[in-house]
Amino acid sequence: MSGHTQSQPVPPPSRFRVSGLAGPLLWAVGLAIPAVFDSSWVAIAAVFAIYAINALSEDVILGRGGMFDMGHAVYFGIGAYVTAILNTSFGWPIFATLPAAILLAAAAGALLAGPLMRLRGDYLLVATIGFNAIFVLTMQNDPGDITGGSDGITGIGVPSLFGLSLASQSAMFWLDWVVLGVVLLLMRNLDRCELGRAQRYLKQDELAAATLGVDARKVKTQTFALGAGLAGLAGTLFAVQLSTVSPASFVFTESVTLFAVVIVGGPGSVPGVLLGTALMFVVPQIFRDFAQYRYFVFGIAMIAVMVLRPQGLWPQRRRRA
Amino acid sequence: MSALLELRGVGISFGGMQAVDNLSLAIEDGHIAALIGPNGAGKTTVFNMITGVCRPNDGQILWQGRDITGLAPHRIAALGIRRTFQTIRLFADMSVFDNVRAGCHLRARQRWWQGLLGLPAQRREDAALRERTHDVLRRLDLDGVADEPAVSLPYGLQRRVEMARALVAQPKLVILDEPAAGLNDAESAELSQTIFAIRDSGVTVLLVEHDMNVVMNVTDHIVVINFGRKIAEGDATTVRDDPAVIEAYLGSDDEGEPAA
Repeated sequence: MSGHTQSQPVPPPSRFRVSGLAGPLLWAVGLAIPAVFDSSWVAIAAVFAIYAINALSEDVILGRGGMFDMGHAVYFGIGAYVTAILNTSFGWPIFATLPAAILLAAAAGALLAGPLMRLRGDYLLVATIGFNAIFVLTMQNDPGDITGGSDGITGIGVPSLFGLSLASQSAMFWLDWVVLGVVLLLMRNLDRCELGRAQRYLKQDELAAATLGVDARKVKTQTFALGAGLAGLAGTLFAVQLSTVSPASFVFTESVTLFAVVIVGGPGSVPGVLLGTALMFVVPQIFRDFAQYRYFVFGIAMIAVMVLRPQGLWPQRRRRA
Repeated sequence: MSALLELRGVGISFGGMQAVDNLSLAIEDGHIAALIGPNGAGKTTVFNMITGVCRPNDGQILWQGRDITGLAPHRIAALGIRRTFQTIRLFADMSVFDNVRAGCHLRARQRWWQGLLGLPAQRREDAALRERTHDVLRRLDLDGVADEPAVSLPYGLQRRVEMARALVAQPKLVILDEPAAGLNDAESAELSQTIFAIRDSGVTVLLVEHDMNVVMNVTDHIVVINFGRKIAEGDATTVRDDPAVIEAYLGSDDEGEPAA
């Protein structure tokens, strides 16, 4: 019977390729940024690293989980606020706030996943927008006098490691860059581990996946928790980089941007998401005079990509299990 | 000896239509059993109830004597019950290998964080499951197409890939929903051999089938249903000569097309 396969035309050429090489390579080159560029560029690179982590965390839920999360700024915000509050109000060192930021954001993700996972596609999207609105309103209304209202929280401390203060922009850049490296490693492992596979099965055919023993509820909860936790991590770095947090950084349009970065870059594709992040957060810095047009330019780019490359600028590759 | 799988008075209705009514049947361990009946008799619905895709309104489904009625599909899978689909449901964007590897999901013991850390133990487990996948691909003569996109294959091979995906976890019971549909004569003859081989590897088989050649050749026990009710059961010769079966299949004019 295997004779049939010889005569059968196979439409797409074999697209199995080593994926995920571009991410680590880009990362290694990036380590040299403080040696080559001036401090304003180092700051831009640091912000890129933070938003890359944030976008990759959105990709966990949107690209890999296939769940339309348009409230991702919530988890980013939880991480940033947890660090800001614990540091300024309770005097925790920055690095001590990091696990709390990750865990609380992940817990929020897992908790919200409960009611959300029943919803599909556009319904899920609208519900996550709702959560984002609630989050921003809550932060603005300053419950218990801890979030600082619309002005947010200022005076967030400098992280220090083994008595070494990471005060300079270069030091902070390296911190962000190393954390980005760790996240890239996690994403590579996610591609290869059983959770990542289960995500792909569910995304393609939920019923077939269930009859193979995939527990959709469990996988989706883990996906939300993982994506939210990584966003919380990015939030801590963000609070440190800006030394201030305010509700304006976590509004709905930020979630839309993250969503768009993943869709335009290529859902499920690490190089694609990094490329999308660079376009969205770095290119506007280059054309600083036109920065206010970034949504205009990005809007046109989004339309062009969706028409010309619906799989994203750098699509996900087929990969071996 | 208690049956591997037993249905007791199972019934389900969809919007007032009684799709399956008071159906009882038992499948013995190590048998090849078949559920047959004309189009629309409710066969696939019975499969869907066994595999947890839909929940019966009445009756009980027992697995090795234990009530499993209404368990979620992934829990049914964990018991060792796997199925194929009448309308093939392969993962479209994946290779044949990856599709079959998907059947190993419950064999992977890793916790999510262990997988994320990529520890050596996880890599060893992964290598073992890859080997297991290759074994099944070889057994079902699919190793030559392992790297092809699954949906680019001819229909008959796609059905075999689905079978491999169901078998790779070494289930106790595999349920094949019309495995001969769309196969030519040579292919369905080969299918009979495949089904025997599955049984001989220690897996009980339940199939829904229109192809009477396949059914008559391979089965130990046949249950015939029509309009959701059991009208006959027994071995191939008993069922073939049963007047109710003949009537159901050759039928009166208002009963629609005969199925074989």
